[in-house]
Order: sequence, then C-alpha cells, then structure tokens
Amino acid sequence: MRRALLVAVLAALALPATAFAHASLKKESPSFGQELHVSPRQVVLQFDQTVQALPKSIQVLTPDGRDLAGKPRAVTAQRQIVASVPRLPKGAYTIRWQAISNDGHIVSGVYTFGVRVKAPPVTSAVGAQGPTSTENVVRWLYFVSLALLVGGLGFRLLIVRGPLPPRAQRRFFWVTGIGAVALLQVGIVAFLLRGEDMLQLPFSLFIYGDLSPLASGTRFGQTFIAMTLGFVLVTAFLYLAWLLDRVWPLWVAFGLGLFFASGLSLSGHSAADAGHSWVSELADWVHLTSAMLWVGGLLMLLVVIWPGAPELRRTAFLRFSKLATVLVALLLAAGTYLSILRFPNVHDLWTTGYGHVLLIKLSLVALALLWGAAHHFVAAPRLAAGDGGTLFGRLSRSMLGESTVAMAVLLAAAFLVNTNPPPQPSPRAPVAAHVTRR
Amino acid sequence: MIAGIMPQAEFVHWWFATGFLMLGLVLFAEALVGPEVWGMRPWRKYIWPGLCFVMGIFMWPVMTFFTNSAIHMVAHGSWAEFLMFCGAAELGVARGKLHSQYWRLASSLALIVSGTAFLVHEQNAWLFSRAAFLHHTAGWTALVFAAFPLALAFRPRSMFAASGFAAFFIVLAVMLYCDRDIAPIFGHFSQFAGVPHR
Repeated sequence: MRRALLVAVLAALALPATAFAHASLKKESPSFGQELHVSPRQVVLQFDQTVQALPKSIQVLTPDGRDLAGKPRAVTAQRQIVASVPRLPKGAYTIRWQAISNDGHIVSGVYTFGVRVKAPPVTSAVGAQGPTSTENVVRWLYFVSLALLVGGLGFRLLIVRGPLPPRAQRRFFWVTGIGAVALLQVGIVAFLLRGEDMLQLPFSLFIYGDLSPLASGTRFGQTFIAMTLGFVLVTAFLYLAWLLDRVWPLWVAFGLGLFFASGLSLSGHSAADAGHSWVSELADWVHLTSAMLWVGGLLMLLVVIWPGAPELRRTAFLRFSKLATVLVALLLAAGTYLSILRFPNVHDLWTTGYGHVLLIKLSLVALALLWGAAHHFVAAPRLAAGDGGTLFGRLSRSMLGESTVAMAVLLAAAFLVNTNPPPQPSPRAPVAAHVTRR
Repeated sequence: MIAGIMPQAEFVHWWFATGFLMLGLVLFAEALVGPEVWGMRPWRKYIWPGLCFVMGIFMWPVMTFFTNSAIHMVAHGSWAEFLMFCGAAELGVARGKLHSQYWRLASSLALIVSGTAFLVHEQNAWLFSRAAFLHHTAGWTALVFAAFPLALAFRPRSMFAASGFAAFFIVLAVMLYCDRDIAPIFGHFSQFAGVPHR
C-alpha cells in the first residue's frame, strides 16, 4: 500500500510539467509601446509554452476600432502566434490578443504601438473606457488611507513630540496601522480595476489576463510598483516602532511615506500633461502632502488625542493650529499654481467637466478653510487663555464637522485626478489615418 | 528595464523554499528541545517570527513584478500579507507586546488563507501537471496543517502540535523545490516541455 502510494506520487510528479499553470507572453513584435518607422508586415507573439490560436487571437485595432489583422495561426512548435497586417499608415494601434494555453485556459492581453507616432499608454488602448466612478471612490479611499498613515505619522512626530499616554499610543498605532493596511489593499484594487478596464474582458478571462503592460509600460503601473513596495517598508517601520517602543522607526516611516507619496505626483496630470515640468511635479507633491498632513492631523486630534489623552488636548490643538496655517498656505499656493497651469482660459472653469469638479472642490475647500479659521481665530485664543471644560466638547463636534468637509474635499480631488483637464491650445489639428490594403 | 533585472521565476520559488526550510528547521528545533530550553537565549524567540515577517516583505516584489496573470498577482499578494501578519503577531507575543495566547491563531489563519489562495489560483485538475498536482497538494496541506497552530493556541506546550506546525514548512519547502520542470527534486521529466529552456 505504502509502495503504491509512493509510486502514485512519483508518477503524478513526472506528468507533463509545463512550467507553471498557463502560458505567458515572452516576446512580441511589434513590442509594447514601440514606435515603428515603417509599418510591420506581421504581428508575432511568442509564448513560453505551446498555445493554440483562436479566430481572434490577434486583433490590430485602429483608433476607431477597425481590426486590420489577418487570420492568426500558431507556428514554431506551437509557441508562436502570427498574423499578417496590411501596410499601416501613420498612427497609433492597439493589439488585443488571446490564446488557448495548453492548460485549457484562455490567456489574454493588450498593448499599443505606433507607426511614426509615439504609442499611447496601454490605459488608452482602443476599447478602454477610462476611470469609472468605482475607480474614483477607490482613489478617494487611497487618499484617506494616505492621510491616516502619513498625516498620522506627521502629527505624532511634529505635534505630539513627547511620549503619549498608553491609551493614546494604542489608538495612534491602530489608526496609522489601519491606514497602512488599507493603503496596500486599496492600491491593489485600484491596479486591478485599471487592468480590467484596459483588458475589457469578462471576469472569468480577466483573472488570467496579462497585466504586465500596465505594470511596466505605464506611469500608473510603475507608480503602483514603487508605492506598493515603498509603503510595505513604511508599514514595516511603523510595526517596528510599535514592537520596540522606539521613535526613530517612526521618523524613517514618515520620511519614506513623504518620499513615496510623490509617486502620485509623478504619475498624474502634473507629470504627464502639456506644460508639465519638475516645478509642476514639485507643486503637486507639496499640494498633496500638505493636504495629507492637514486632514491626517485633524483626524488624529479627533480620534487619538481627544479620547485618548485629555491632558494633551490644549497643547496639541494649539500646535496643530500653527502647523495648519503653514499647511493651508502651501496648499493654496501650490493649488493656485497648478490651476493656472491646467486652465489655458478662465472660462474653462465653467465650460469643462474638469472645471466643474474643480469649482466643487474649491467650494468645499473654502468651507473647510472657514471652519479652520474659526478654530484658529476663535477657539485657539480661548484655549491659550486657559479656557477649557465645555469648549473641549464643542471643539470635538466642530472638528468632526471639519473632518467631514475635509473628506469631501478628498473625494472631489479623487474625481479631479481621474478627469481630463481642458486641452491646451494646439497649433495644428492631427491628421486622420487611413488604411491601404496591400 | 524591469524585465532585465527580474530573476527567473523558478529561482524565486527556490529562494522561498529555502526560507521555508529554515523556518521549518528552526520550529523543529524548538519543538524538540521545548520552549523553556529554546527560550534560554532570548533572541531565539525572534528567529522564526522575524524570518516569517521578512519573507512577507520579500514576497511583495514577487506580487508587483510578476503580473502576467491577475490571479497569480492576487495570490502572491495574499501570501505576502499573511506571512507578514503571522510573523508580526508571533513577534508581538515573543516581545510581550501582545499578551493573549489567542494571537497564536494568526498562524492558523495564515495557513488557511494561504492554502485557499493555492487552491483558488490553481484551476487545473490534480493530475494535469506536476505544478497543478503540487499546487493542490500545497493548498490542502496548508488547510489540514492549520490544525497544528490552532492546537498550539490552546496547548502551547504540545510537542506534537509544534512538530506538526514545523513539518508543514518543511513539506512546503520540498514542494516549492520540485514544482518546476527543471527542479532540483525530480528533475526535468516532461516530454511536453521539450529541452530545458533555461
């Protein structure tokens, strides 16, 4: 019996061991994001194991969605799929591919290339519809998580510099820990949603979809990689600070958090749209980090200091009030610069979708600023003069209101990031591509 | 640029197999000599949870760089998170930051989630291929062996439970060493895979 079991196990292990599960694309021509000087004669996809071609294994799509590829066929020991293409005029093209892996599953992918033009990012492939409302909500959750983590760390290190009472210390680690874990989860969800839009496949096929063009060929994907790995390190240092009861890992985590938050600035409008420069990227980072520190600080006051360290309420509130003034000034300066950069005309504010979202965001920011000003000019002097008691109770409710408005500002910001700014004036209209069959 | 610096997938599997083997051996040593003897040098308490936590950190690059299938990406992400979670909880207990013995349930939960991830991301039948067989085996092994850390949460001095928990990592290491067609264990058997391509 034992011998039979051993033989069965060895036989199973000796069965066809075709690498790992399903086929992966190893090489392709034209390659991801390639800019060709002449039209390709054929599209060649090379896999790491044998595959079977499907009738639509290779589609070469024009921007208006016409498929120009010939009948695909599997060649070279069934590891390549090849399809001929007519002479392609100048323009951008999308290749959508599918193949039956020898495990019976359909593997799929998409990428772009250009003939005498730069290839568009794969997120703009033909068929992709751009960010959805779900993606906007996910981005908002990302901002909130970032505020909890980076803003929370900033508050702990810049505002409450000394030791915290045990209850507040526990709350601090819970809040920042939730921020860290949520940041990683939400980042993965955001990446998968963008991949789903790019691939345009039903869920059963999407799970085998190739996301590598998105990961390595777009700013969004590269940012996802850098920020995920960066915030894993931030999480590890945050954990180390809790485990060892030391402050230095918090400083490392805070520094890394601020650094890796720049990923959003280096992949957004400020880094990709017309008129971008290192100044616009820096302004975007200042805008983002100021907002995170402001919102995160408010939440820490509300969730950590007020219930967890009553003896620190006065000091923490007064110090935060001073820091918030600087943060708001930076926020407004950077935001104004970026608005001027993105709006070629003032009327774009009320004639474009981007302008409408920005107006909503500005209204919410104004409300939050008024609220903050009331805290700064009315509540802070009374606290500094030694007033307390019922004021603390009213301040708690007031900060809850301000935090809610701040969350709404972040939601508007999430919609704004996923909306295209008004186009910059162009000297010449693009020439439409037309196709000639050989 | 990323493709140029990425190691071959089988190497990554073998690195993690080596990590799990070390984990298993350390846990076995602790099970054999008992927690009292093991704890005579305080740093020994941190070896396996620390290694587990660090392996979790190193699993994240696998998740982010090997994105040629959405489901593999999610599976690697879940292993990364639960390796870190398991290591973090055990480190907290070892350090005295977490006092409840029930934090030991984190290891059991990590094995259940990891086993489920193995089974969910392997869509082929058991005997389809060596990789499929080993994925199913690894998944079910993790689910069954989750009983050992569960028992440890209630019977922390049980040598049987501690040995069973250690055995899981050694068995998993062997599986990871031999799940490729050019593996060090069982070698290159497949006619379908042709000549070894690496």
